[in-house]
Amino acid sequence: MKLNETPIEKDFRVANVRESEKILRRLEALGILEGTRVRVLNRKRNGATIIKVRGSRWALGNDIAQGIEVEELTDEE
Amino acid sequence: MKSEIRVGFAGNPNCGKTTLFNAYTGANLKVANWPGVTVEKKEGETEYKGRKMRLIDLPGIYSLTSYSMEEKVSRKVILGDEVDIIVDVVDASALERNLYLTLQLLELGKPVVVALNMMDIVEERGMEIDLHRLPELLGNIPVVPVSARKRTGLDVLLHAVEHHYEEQTADPVVEYSREIEEKIQEISNRIQKQYPESKNLRWHSIKILENDEQIIEEQPVDISDIADKNYEKQIINEKYNYIEEIIEECVFYKGNRQSMTEKADRILTHPVAGVPVFLCIMALVFFLTFTVGDAVKGVFELGLDWAFEAARTALTALGASGWVCSLVVDGIMSGVGGILTFLPNIFILFLALAFLEDSGYMARVAYVMDGIMGKVGLSGKAFLPMVLGFGCTVPAVMATRTLENEEDRKKTILLTPFMSCSARLPIYVLFADVFFGKYAMVAAFSLYALGMIVAILLALIIGKVWKTDKKIPLLIELPDYKVPNPRTIRIYVWEKVKDYLTKAGTTIFVASIVIWFILNYNFQGMTSDVTTSFGAMIGKVLAPVLIPAGLGTWQIVVALISGLSAKEVVISSFSVLYGVNNISSPEGMTTLSQALGAIGFGPLNAYALMVFCLLYTPCVATLATVRKETHSTSWTLKMVVFQLLLAYAAAVLVFQVGSLLGL
Repeated sequence: MKLNETPIEKDFRVANVRESEKILRRLEALGILEGTRVRVLNRKRNGATIIKVRGSRWALGNDIAQGIEVEELTDEE
Repeated sequence: MKSEIRVGFAGNPNCGKTTLFNAYTGANLKVANWPGVTVEKKEGETEYKGRKMRLIDLPGIYSLTSYSMEEKVSRKVILGDEVDIIVDVVDASALERNLYLTLQLLELGKPVVVALNMMDIVEERGMEIDLHRLPELLGNIPVVPVSARKRTGLDVLLHAVEHHYEEQTADPVVEYSREIEEKIQEISNRIQKQYPESKNLRWHSIKILENDEQIIEEQPVDISDIADKNYEKQIINEKYNYIEEIIEECVFYKGNRQSMTEKADRILTHPVAGVPVFLCIMALVFFLTFTVGDAVKGVFELGLDWAFEAARTALTALGASGWVCSLVVDGIMSGVGGILTFLPNIFILFLALAFLEDSGYMARVAYVMDGIMGKVGLSGKAFLPMVLGFGCTVPAVMATRTLENEEDRKKTILLTPFMSCSARLPIYVLFADVFFGKYAMVAAFSLYALGMIVAILLALIIGKVWKTDKKIPLLIELPDYKVPNPRTIRIYVWEKVKDYLTKAGTTIFVASIVIWFILNYNFQGMTSDVTTSFGAMIGKVLAPVLIPAGLGTWQIVVALISGLSAKEVVISSFSVLYGVNNISSPEGMTTLSQALGAIGFGPLNAYALMVFCLLYTPCVATLATVRKETHSTSWTLKMVVFQLLLAYAAAVLVFQVGSLLGL
């Protein structure tokens, strides 16, 4: 599932990141990597999404959010 | 021993570098609670036990890879020889993200001291950090807990700086996997052979493995036989694995309450209510500016009345000649005094903006406006300079440095002057009050709205004309909300009030004298008939052009031209032009309204005038800043011409349509 279409107020794990080289490097430096846990906090109608990663809160535009593939975390995780 | 230690403050955006810098140097640099407030390198000095320390405050960065203009500034200083030691300011409440830059800085091999800032917030959140284990895991560099805001730990930090500024970081902190370490070793050998002078081989090797453009350009090394891909991702991954270990060992959570921030964000970043809430907040800012400001203004007007009386009495008693009296009372005091009475409005406006900026809401504005800005080809981040533009266009234009691409920057620079800055406030307050009575506030609000609408329409048109499709998407950190810090607010507001007073004492002072002079002199010398003055001569040449806009009198032309020096000057010029001593007082307004009414200048003309003032060429200070930021005189001049034409067209449209409707 793409990060711009998840339910909100739920936890996910990043499965795959497909972005332009520049954005990809930037996200990696912020610690948004394959396997990283993210919590989706809120979303605008245009797809811009607020997430919490490694204790920091980020607003990602729709263009970025749709390039991040996530999978839902099971309850024990 | 060096006589002076040069200390660079590096760290993530919004981690408190500038607060720390201010605390040491006594400077009053702007501080606020959103990422990207500092866009320029700033230097200052402090002393510790007789040692001089030169402190360098830098724009925040998340990593040593640079994307935007302000990040390049920081990277250059950190990588170059400008600093002896790096103070890595770390937001302890977001340790996991901050440590990434720390690990990169440690690899540089330069002396590093970590300032663990915001420890007070860590405590409030019920977190604990193991201050013994943390430095061990960071290669035994000093880690000093400080609170820049409460000014604790400051001496300890300087003590650490003084002790460690010559100490290179020794062993590698992060041990990468064998695959990477072997490559680092091999590349190091090659660099050493090719560039025997080269220092810090490990860092250079890592950067070459990461495909860093600048490093590869400076010291190209052929690694095609050992590296078949870009290893940046793997290196970042391994750094984060190490950070996770550190967090595991050093950070303890004692409970996980849902923070205030998340609750507030349910409303403030609501998918539907977000935009209306933002508009309401801005409306409240201007409402307070007008109402509270006006209430206090009465006191200033009384004071000004008293000053006029005192000046007249004093000058008469001193036996000053007529022209001196006229210059002082009708020129300087009318012009400068008239502007000073708006100080309460200015004060309230900046107080409200300071609250907005220091509360943490600013970054949300970028998110909330991302939808609308997206439609015109910009990211929501481009809206931040525009919000700053409600205060003053100059810092707003500079704030566009946080935008990653040059085209977005220029576009935003073009839009920013349409946000009504505080200098246009007196014009709205005065003309709306004089001509619109109880609808004054509606009239003034409509101008703020009009400015935003024009900006957005313009962005839409530019998007079509410049045909840019590679929009830079939104990516911004949203800090926790906090109660604005009284000291921060005080500095913010005082700096702005000081600017305003300085402007009254310089630009407006000089402009008032010039206006007085051109109104009272002509080629024959002093004249008592204003219609034969220099001012009238100049104004009459251009007045016919402004007739279709309902502004075709020479006095208005003179006021508008003088307004290029600063927009408040439009008002001070009106005071001098129409001989109104205390223009914003009830008597002053009556005088102005009668004088203008006599030439058939009514509410419609006033509205056209306000529209013209909203849209026409910004002040010279803004133009100088635009020139500096775009490095292009021709681009700046084109902007000037464009804005003049736009203002003219809009004022004509307002006046003609209004006249047709019989307004």
